[in-house]
Amino acid sequence: MKDPYEILGVAKTASPEEIRKAYLRLAKKLHPDLNPGSKHSEERFKEVSAAYDLLSDADKRQRFDSGEIDASGAERPRERFYKDFAAEAAAGHPYENHSGYADFVETDDIFAELLRRRAREARHARGPDLHYHFSIDFLDAINGATKVLTLPKGGTLHVTIPPGIQEGQILRLRGKGAPSLGEGESGDALVEISINPHKFFSRHGDDIHVDLPITLTEAVLGAQIRAPTPKGPVVLTVPKGSNTGNVLRLKGRGVPRREGHGDEFVTLKVMLPQEPNPELEAFLSQWTPEKSYDPRRDMQS
Amino acid sequence: MIISKPDFLERARLDRETLEVWIEEEWLLPSRTADELVFSEMDLARAKLIRDLRHDMGVNDEGVGVILNLLDQIHGLRKVMADLLRSAREQSGRVHDLSSMDQDRGDK
Repeated sequence: MKDPYEILGVAKTASPEEIRKAYLRLAKKLHPDLNPGSKHSEERFKEVSAAYDLLSDADKRQRFDSGEIDASGAERPRERFYKDFAAEAAAGHPYENHSGYADFVETDDIFAELLRRRAREARHARGPDLHYHFSIDFLDAINGATKVLTLPKGGTLHVTIPPGIQEGQILRLRGKGAPSLGEGESGDALVEISINPHKFFSRHGDDIHVDLPITLTEAVLGAQIRAPTPKGPVVLTVPKGSNTGNVLRLKGRGVPRREGHGDEFVTLKVMLPQEPNPELEAFLSQWTPEKSYDPRRDMQS
Repeated sequence: MIISKPDFLERARLDRETLEVWIEEEWLLPSRTADELVFSEMDLARAKLIRDLRHDMGVNDEGVGVILNLLDQIHGLRKVMADLLRSAREQSGRVHDLSSMDQDRGDK
């Protein structure tokens, strides 16, 4: 690691103003974007910037002088420069400029053909992609739907939601993005989907979970009841003696996936009548359950 | 990699008003989604270059436009030159191959 004073060509006693002047003089000469072909300039510029970074900060300079940090302690290697992007960018990037050689293209030889080809590529470059967010209903995400997305800047977009789409999934609508700057194809519209929660369904992977309230009678005696599923209600058999927390599985009633469907899991929830019920009270005050009926047995210590 | 406007301002160390001026001057050409501007890593590198020009090199606002235009032309020329050199190299490679084949035939 070289001495930052040496890199900037200043004395150890240089004032902040002298350091700044030295840096500006070197930066003007060495800035990589002003010397796009010179690797050496880039290396030197990085050294110079790092040195200036260290010495322009009174605190860091003091710590460096006192030996607390070395010259690299403050070095923040500059990310990539603009020239790197300009060199790698595909034809048709927004800053592309052909006016430096446009007049050469008029001639009729192999080189002019090369130039023309480059200009053509730029003209036919694809337009940029556009990004959108779209919130859809829980059931539409499971069953699929065709939705019309109204764009904030006017216009609409027809979005086909495939059944079983997941939160955060991105739909690519080919050719619905921004038009090409020249004569190329339009870019794509990328629609990120978020799914609104449902009043009583929740989704765990490909399975649907739902809490289903049942009456005391249905729980004790068993019953055939209608249970909601994303595709509409189905008949569910509640076995005799069911309890709050019992889970019943409705096979294939969950979210569609590549092969078949996930399942729906129904968690039963026994609900007493909302109003006090004198008959029920009368019956229970007469009723003596068996000794083994102690729901808090496991909690005794 | 797409950069949102707030991230861009932070990473380029720019304030909102300055960025608006730069876009108005067409020094920066971010792309537009339906309701917001989005920036690329290339835009970010370009913003840092503009900042360097103005702050560290004393270039005034008129100068920045001129320099950017010339730099864009240089990059256009560099690409074309790279193409030309590549095809010239391919050509000379082919010529070289042919001449060595001639040589082989002559030996027999």
